[in-house]
Amino acid sequence: MSGGQSRIELLQGTLDFIILQTLRWGPQHGFGVAQMIRAHSNETLQVDTGSLYPALHRLERAKLIDAKWDRSDKGQRVRVYRLTAAGRKRLVAERTKWERMTQAIAGILNPPIAEGES
Amino acid sequence: MRWLWGRPRRDAELAEEIKAHLEMAVAQRIERGESPAVARDNARREFGNATHVAEVTREMWGGASWRAFGRDVRYAARGLRRSPSFTAVSVLTFALAIGANSAVFSVARAVLLAPLPYASPSELMRLYGADVKDPTSRWPFSPADYLDFTAQQQSFSALGALETTTATWLPEKGEPEILSPLYVTPNLFPTVLRVPAQYGRSFTVDESENGKDHKVILAQRFWQRAFGGDRGAIGQRMQLGGDSYEIVGVMPSSFSLGLNEDVYFPLGFGDAMADAVRARKQHYVHVVGRLKPGMTQAAARADVQTIAKRLEREYPESNSDRTVSMMSLHEWLVGDTKRPIVLLQAAALFVLLIACANLTNLSLSRAMGREREMAVRAALGASRGRLARQLLTESVLLAAAGGVIGVLVATSATRVLLAINPGALPRIFTVSIDTQVLVPSIVASILAGGLVGLVPALGIARADLHGSLKEGGRGASGGRGGERVRRVLVVAQIGLAVMLLVGSGLLIRSFEKLTGASTGFDAEHVLTAQLRAGGARYDSASAVNRFYDDVMRSVAAAPGVIAVGGVSILPTQGNVGTSLRIQGKDVDEGRLPDLGYLEVRGDYFKAVRGRLIAGRLFENSDRADGPTVALLNETAAKRHFPNGDAVGARVRIGPDPKSQPITIVGVVADMRDVGSGAPTRPTIIMNHVQQTWDRSLSIAVRTTGDPNSAAAALRRAVKAADPLLAIRNVETLDDVLSSSLAPRRFSLGLVATFAAIALTLAAIGIYGVLSYAVTTRTREFGVRIALGASTHSVLMLVARQGLAWAVLGLTLGIAGALAAGRLIAGMLYGVGALDLWTYFAVAAGLFVVVAAACLLPASRATHVDPLTAMRAE
Repeated sequence: MSGGQSRIELLQGTLDFIILQTLRWGPQHGFGVAQMIRAHSNETLQVDTGSLYPALHRLERAKLIDAKWDRSDKGQRVRVYRLTAAGRKRLVAERTKWERMTQAIAGILNPPIAEGES
Repeated sequence: MRWLWGRPRRDAELAEEIKAHLEMAVAQRIERGESPAVARDNARREFGNATHVAEVTREMWGGASWRAFGRDVRYAARGLRRSPSFTAVSVLTFALAIGANSAVFSVARAVLLAPLPYASPSELMRLYGADVKDPTSRWPFSPADYLDFTAQQQSFSALGALETTTATWLPEKGEPEILSPLYVTPNLFPTVLRVPAQYGRSFTVDESENGKDHKVILAQRFWQRAFGGDRGAIGQRMQLGGDSYEIVGVMPSSFSLGLNEDVYFPLGFGDAMADAVRARKQHYVHVVGRLKPGMTQAAARADVQTIAKRLEREYPESNSDRTVSMMSLHEWLVGDTKRPIVLLQAAALFVLLIACANLTNLSLSRAMGREREMAVRAALGASRGRLARQLLTESVLLAAAGGVIGVLVATSATRVLLAINPGALPRIFTVSIDTQVLVPSIVASILAGGLVGLVPALGIARADLHGSLKEGGRGASGGRGGERVRRVLVVAQIGLAVMLLVGSGLLIRSFEKLTGASTGFDAEHVLTAQLRAGGARYDSASAVNRFYDDVMRSVAAAPGVIAVGGVSILPTQGNVGTSLRIQGKDVDEGRLPDLGYLEVRGDYFKAVRGRLIAGRLFENSDRADGPTVALLNETAAKRHFPNGDAVGARVRIGPDPKSQPITIVGVVADMRDVGSGAPTRPTIIMNHVQQTWDRSLSIAVRTTGDPNSAAAALRRAVKAADPLLAIRNVETLDDVLSSSLAPRRFSLGLVATFAAIALTLAAIGIYGVLSYAVTTRTREFGVRIALGASTHSVLMLVARQGLAWAVLGLTLGIAGALAAGRLIAGMLYGVGALDLWTYFAVAAGLFVVVAAACLLPASRATHVDPLTAMRAE
């Protein structure tokens, strides 16, 4: 896959979680979601559009997010995605799961040192 | 629902969404200081393939898998267009295999599967008499037996009977014509077969005395031909056998008793029962019964056999050692055609299997060649399932296309085949390609396509696609397993081809033996035709004799005619039976030896060049009122007069012990009496001059040149002798002989064609797999040649592989052929199912073909340039 070596490909499932997390900051269009993921991960996470749009549509279909057409700041017609109540609930559950997992992995990687949130 | 309704709009929206994404990316890059052109390029590169993104996104919508299927089909069609030769070969192979199956199946369905055109046909049984010692023998009933069974049986709701005959029809306009009427008991149509007349009515019970009321029912085909389908024909009269008959009904078009009958007369037994000898000892009544609902065949058979035992005790003189058996009417009508049809269907299925194996190989090669393409698509996000489905769709598409073409081909092929072999099937079975043939053909196509696509699809599902991408797509992965499958398929193909080759080899040998075997007659330069002198004007022997003498005399006088004779049944056209008593030998009344019965007239033996072995032929001095004389054929003479004292012996024939004694005056060589080539029946040959009760006679005319030149003279002679009489079946004896071989030639031709296709496909299969193996081993061969391997050793390296498959396939094929021998055994003549010569020829032929298929890849291996091969790394 194209992209620099420092970039990490996202696992399926992880992408869904990250999208939900990103939309927590407010409604956003596809390009914005990709930009935010990239920015928030210090350019580490590269989202392939071939994964992003299927994921957005999949989440929409699962009613975790919904979408409507809107105008961007520059007057461009864009499709804006927003978390639904179900999406918020799922996000909380996923977050808990994810935190426990990262803690566990951190524990394995650094046995003596105590936890820290990333 | 919105998901379905809004589909086109959603497509547009997705396109817009993607476009917006790209525009925003471009705008952002321009803001960062990139030039618009560079920004556009970079944004597009970063985004990736927009079409692909749209496609995988659309997949998320789900909801309608048929849409995904439609997309797969479009992709498949696009992919197939890109490799036209692969597509052409695949479609052609499928077309051939499906076409062969559809064609044979259309016949198999009509004959074996379709119900007979009667109500509840499964209840209908054909009853026949059988010899206790020879259960395979089949006799018609005697009238008295038929009436006894009708009265005593408890298993059938009704029994009915029929009898065959011929009659001359004198149309109001045109020439007289010989028809084939059937006598039927009045209950046969309404009660037994439960088929009412389409127009008019069936016979009434009081019309049941053989034609005395002069009523006739028309078969649909005859009605169409003679009356142009005019319903006004009912109530009209027609001239049959010199009498005027009233037409009372017309049968429906699907109706037939399978005997090519034209009209029906009512059948009764009053006259027959009045004559004690005729009543119980003459067997001419064909019996059909309808089982009571719920009655099993076994129970019904037990019932009638109990009655047969009772009749044996009551009438030992006529009925001892006689029993009764039955089979379904369908089975009876199918008769001998079942075996070749089953054989042909099996052969066609083999061709389909071989075609599938071959195409699997072909698509495996193609899949291996496309590993890189598949890997790229997988990397772009296509799931394995998706890719596998893609491959399956491709092969199903190919099979469907092949199937459609195949069915079209089959439609015309069936028509042509049946047109070439008009007598191949009883007319009751109508072959047509309709939905009941189309649906199985389409299902078979799809299954075959699925089968062919399955192996490559599984391969894709398992293959290490990323690995193949890294390796630069040289396709090392998936190769091992794939290769093994391909070898198994090649061996299986050879095995199946060998089975077909053995089968067709045995049939060819049989045909060769049958055509090479002596028929006992010389068919060249002989014209034959059927005559009938029937009706009231011919109720005396002298009238019959006068007619035939007149005809034969004037034909003999025609130019180019060497000899003219007559015979009751032409060679190869069957036989009828009687029984024999030899004077001076003890006679066991119940066990009279069975004897075929033939009548000849004039110079028959000279006309067909039959050979006299002992004594003399009939002469003019054997007059109608003189002592009765007869000839025996060689088989009869040897069996009953092993000491060679047949000539001069005195015998009686038939059921009546006080019948006219007959003196045997000569012995003639056997003539083939049935087309199948079964041994000639021991036969007594009577002089028609003295035995005129058979009013029909086939005339045989030997000519110096073209036998057809005698046809006009024959017609003229009949017209001159009696303008109200007709001739029919004017054909050369060569044609008669040839059509007696037609069913055999028909199935032989098809099986041999199938075998040839099978062998070709197997050879292509070997060639393909070896070629591929050579390509993948180019480097190895390069090294070997560089290390000094001789051309010969490299050649053998490749050829040995192909030959090893051939040996394995041959072994399996021979084992299969031996196991399937029973299927074909009944169709052989003069060779056993284990005919060594055939097996040897098949093996030799196979090795020649396999060697040829190995040659090209093997020689390519020897021409590998070591330097190029290594540099290619």
